[in-house]
Amino acid sequence: MSAVLKPKSKLIVCDGNEAAAWAVSLANVDMVAVYPITPQSSLVEYLAKFIADGRLSSEIVDVEGEHSVLSVLQGACLAGARTYTASCGPGLAFMFEPYLRTPGLRLPLVMTIVTRDTLTPQSVWGGHQDAMSVREVGWVQMYCESVQEVLDTTIMAYRIAEHHDVMLPVNICHDGNYLSFGAARCELPDQGEVNEFLGEKDVNWHVALDPQRPMAVDPLTGGAGGPGPSTFVRYRKGQCSGMQNSLKVITEVHEDWGRRFGRHHAPLIESYRMDGADYAMVTIGSMTGAAKDAVDEARARGEKVGLLKVKTYRPFPAEAFATALSDVKAFGVVDRSVSFGWNCGPLFQDAITAMQYAPRRIPAMSFIGGLAGADLTVSHFERVIGRVKELARDGHAAETVWLNEKD
Amino acid sequence: MGAAYETIHFKAEACDGCNDCMTACAMAKTQTEEHLHSRIQIVPSGEGFELAICRQCGDPKCVLNCPAAALSKNAGSGVVDWDGSKCVNCLLCTVGCAYGGIAYDSIASHVIKCDMCEGAPACVQACTPGALKHITTARIYNEAGKLEDLFAPGLSGCQGCNTELIMRHALRRIGPDVVVATPPGCIPGMGSVGYNGLTGTKVPVFHPLLTNTASMLAGVRRQYKRAGRDVLAVALAGDGGTADVGFQSLSGAAERGEEILYICVDNEGYMNTGMQRSGCTPYGAWTSTTPVGERAHGKTQDAKNLPLLMVMHNCDFVATASTAFMEDLYDKLDRAIVAAKTGFAYLHIYSPCTTGWRFPSDQNVEVARKAVETNFVLLWEFNPADGLQFTHPVENARPIDEYLEVLGKYRHLDPDQVAHIERSLANNLARIRGFAAAEGTASAEAGRA
Amino acid sequence: MMQHAHYLIVGASHAALSALHAIRLHDAEGDVTLLTRDDSLPYSPTVLPYVVSGRSDPGRVFLRDEGYFSEHKVNYLRGAKVQKLNSGESAVELADGSKIGFDKLLLATGAAPMLPAIPGLAGLKFHVLRTLADAVSLREALPRIKRALVLGGGLIGMHAAENLAKGGVEVSVVEMQPHVLAGYFDAEASGMIEAVFAAKGVRLLLGTSVAAFTPNGEGCRAKLADGTEIDADLLLVATGVAPVTDFLDGSGVETERGVLVDEHMRTNVANIWAAGDVAQARGFYSSERIINGILPDAVDQGRIAGMAMAEDPGTHDYAGGVPLNTYSFFGQHAVSVGVHEGALEASGVEVKKQVDAAHNHYLKIVLKDRRLAGIFGVNAAFDPGIMWELILRGIDLGDEKLAFLRSPQDTARALMSKNWR
Repeated sequence: MSAVLKPKSKLIVCDGNEAAAWAVSLANVDMVAVYPITPQSSLVEYLAKFIADGRLSSEIVDVEGEHSVLSVLQGACLAGARTYTASCGPGLAFMFEPYLRTPGLRLPLVMTIVTRDTLTPQSVWGGHQDAMSVREVGWVQMYCESVQEVLDTTIMAYRIAEHHDVMLPVNICHDGNYLSFGAARCELPDQGEVNEFLGEKDVNWHVALDPQRPMAVDPLTGGAGGPGPSTFVRYRKGQCSGMQNSLKVITEVHEDWGRRFGRHHAPLIESYRMDGADYAMVTIGSMTGAAKDAVDEARARGEKVGLLKVKTYRPFPAEAFATALSDVKAFGVVDRSVSFGWNCGPLFQDAITAMQYAPRRIPAMSFIGGLAGADLTVSHFERVIGRVKELARDGHAAETVWLNEKD
Repeated sequence: MGAAYETIHFKAEACDGCNDCMTACAMAKTQTEEHLHSRIQIVPSGEGFELAICRQCGDPKCVLNCPAAALSKNAGSGVVDWDGSKCVNCLLCTVGCAYGGIAYDSIASHVIKCDMCEGAPACVQACTPGALKHITTARIYNEAGKLEDLFAPGLSGCQGCNTELIMRHALRRIGPDVVVATPPGCIPGMGSVGYNGLTGTKVPVFHPLLTNTASMLAGVRRQYKRAGRDVLAVALAGDGGTADVGFQSLSGAAERGEEILYICVDNEGYMNTGMQRSGCTPYGAWTSTTPVGERAHGKTQDAKNLPLLMVMHNCDFVATASTAFMEDLYDKLDRAIVAAKTGFAYLHIYSPCTTGWRFPSDQNVEVARKAVETNFVLLWEFNPADGLQFTHPVENARPIDEYLEVLGKYRHLDPDQVAHIERSLANNLARIRGFAAAEGTASAEAGRA
Repeated sequence: MMQHAHYLIVGASHAALSALHAIRLHDAEGDVTLLTRDDSLPYSPTVLPYVVSGRSDPGRVFLRDEGYFSEHKVNYLRGAKVQKLNSGESAVELADGSKIGFDKLLLATGAAPMLPAIPGLAGLKFHVLRTLADAVSLREALPRIKRALVLGGGLIGMHAAENLAKGGVEVSVVEMQPHVLAGYFDAEASGMIEAVFAAKGVRLLLGTSVAAFTPNGEGCRAKLADGTEIDADLLLVATGVAPVTDFLDGSGVETERGVLVDEHMRTNVANIWAAGDVAQARGFYSSERIINGILPDAVDQGRIAGMAMAEDPGTHDYAGGVPLNTYSFFGQHAVSVGVHEGALEASGVEVKKQVDAAHNHYLKIVLKDRRLAGIFGVNAAFDPGIMWELILRGIDLGDEKLAFLRSPQDTARALMSKNWR
């Protein structure tokens, strides 16, 4: 990341929730619909304040629940609006019905998930269980590591979502507590330069509710016989193509962002000190900072340890992932959530699936930590490194390790 | 050709033979009380009464029979005009009329006929039992008839579907600058949003979820308003998606004053999917989920009063309507369209369902009429300034049996259940009357203060 | 090039106009040509006596104006007298030699006065009442005359006699039948009418005829069968009318007294129809084809013919001619609908008669099997249109029979109100 401030940029100190609100303000969003929920609430409050102060010209709709949040935004988007919202946990669960529908309608909504562990036990603290639970719905999902990445990625999300080859909704996930409330140095890019970066919005060229272009939106499609099933397949395949196309688009957009603003975020996966690494950790989200510290310390001790951070989780950058890990002896995947029925983390599942692209089988194991707001520290990652080295030695598949179990 | 006109309607069962109409007519036309001069003639018939009056026929034979060009059909008013200066008293017109509508007045020595009193018939005004009614619905058909039907022909509704009537009338009136939401139910079921790429609607239309009609429309309307375009946001939704699972988004949108015209087509249940019970299903009604068997005899709870709930949201406009009273419906539709440009307008239209309620398909409007005449359905409207007002008060309601007995879904009712329904209706009537009596002036004053 | 019309209508009175109306209800575009031998807009022969009396302004009797024809895209040709029909060629030939082709033709030429074969008549100046011009010239003659002779006590003759008398003319009527208005009223009712005329100074010579005429200055002298001589300044011949069918000779269209038509007013030639006074169609009381030369029937027949020509799927069968008429005289009126008992098989026939000679009131009701067959009145109140419908529908009076006989107007209105609903 560049330490030199761009001439027109401003430097502020803010938390991830405020950074997201700044991004929304810079992205010229037309319509925001929100319903407050911990730990997202301050994000909503920043938006309301920005609108009240005239900094953000968006319409804000304080609806009666998350279900209506996405519903209002779908309607607005079909009428031509660039839209934004944020939610998490139970709120995300409540909005699931319209959430499920957004990608099928190919609406380029942008939504932050300020990740929160799901009930039950009752919990209001961070964890990826909410975002991971909706990973198969068809939204693009990108997980951020830092406050700055939250701001930059939120702006980039509009160019990705609205790209004609993509036309899909995007979730930017930032960790409840750690990113939502953790303050950090943050560069605010210049409005004019952001405008140039995003270009003209064009959100409903493909599907619209507009008397000047009358059409029926979402007719019944399917049924046995007739043109229904094949039409349905065409829609589904199109949705899949949009998802896969986004890998390229995400990469290009990140590169362009780097060129314009001097901050080069890894678009899909970030390889950290992987040169000649024998052992690797795979991380996602804000835990990566501590994990990188652990890698630095291990390298200082002369251990050949590297790290792979997954930023774009959906679509999963499988080939890049497999290539990056193809030379290690073993790797461990640290998840902040659980995949029930596999007794492991969901990212771990994706990882071992992706590794079928690798030329040989590489031992891997799953670590689960940071649930319900638990901290993942350097020492947790040192444990991970140690366990992965053991795995490389004995090569046996191992039980999932619960990092905070005995904290 | 093609125009519709005002008429005088006679309800034989309501006539008590007072003959005040004849006195009024004679007074209006000759300043005497001589019934011979009356253009309307009430005649005894068994226990009751019948009438002879000019029907102002669309294709009047009396006119064709007149050798002196003294009779003509007025294209503007629809009245068959008689010109005394041309009439030769040949009486051939009386041969042409099979209704006794033009007859010889032996005192005046010429034929006389009803001229509709230039749009304010004296006989109707004089009729206290309400047997005569001046039907002015023609206005609607003349105005709305010229408007384009914005639904495609051949929607696959059930035969005699009242809902199809409502949606076609409503959208005709609303016009093309609109976005229409038709959540899952009979309306998209009959093809409003179409199947497999074909649409049934000529304007932008969509399937919201059953749960989010009002919210999606709110987004549509707000974005157009932001863009400086006046696009009306209209919902054509069933009672289930409105009163039950869609109620939260409806309530939220109403509370926020979203600029939406929300039309709830109330057929008292989930009729599209096989007649399951909804929160609007009345007490005692058979549905497929409140079946009739040895132990159970239909629904055991009363329907929720959805329009009244919307009044409690202080919407800019709330009204109930019925297709049996089209003029009233159109008046409310007009006001709702205006209200939806600045706030939330809610129109609750009762829609008897021939399939789900089990009655013959040609009886739809008749069932709708009976619902109103028995006070099963109350017609009223509300706005925050004027409060709640009845638009078609029914003082001497017909016995509820007259309504219940025509519907198969009530066939099983026992006397206790009928008594329950009677009590519920009485309570409901008293409650709405309370609002009608109390609320208007107080809130109007508050509005001024 | 020969003119051509999809619909060609010959005649412009009630049957023709009613057919035109029916065609336009179903076919707003198909081209229509209407031919009239007159030089004016269409008018009704029925109004002519009133033009004579001055009750009707000859400038205000027209049944349609130019606007009607242009609005309905009708080619209205005046002064077009049809000379000949060539059905093989589907064309008519006009008096000026021109031809008009057609796809469908309606004959609605009406009837023309019949002139009796009375010695001396041919050499006289006399009037008839067939055209508006006839009526105007008769009216213009009135101030110059003192005495008039009307030949014929039918509707036209009686109307003329009344109107001449009202103009201060001394009028005599000669009628072959023992009573005026034979066929519509029985002796008793006719007698009442005759008494009114006599009281107004009209001399009625009934059951007699003119044996010979001789000229007498501008007027004439008539010598009756019994030798009586009548001098008159003006002679009006009103001894009845006959269908105008002469132009059909050689056309193949079947005629008896009039043009024979079926229940859709179609002649034996496929694309030719006839309606009104020229047509001979089935009667209501028997299937025999009759000429029921009355205005309301012309309207009915015209409508059926027009619908059939336009292939309107609502076309219904002609119910058959019911004799009926209305007649106003000196502020009184007489109405007849249907037939007298004499025209019916005796079984099941009931007749009720109510006569109040002092007040010139007469009412006769004829029932057959509890159904109305005929009703006749002088200054009696009933609705002829409802009565006609009761006859056509064959409504069983049932329990209402006595009420009907007692109070036919109210009872019929109540029956109508219930049955027509």
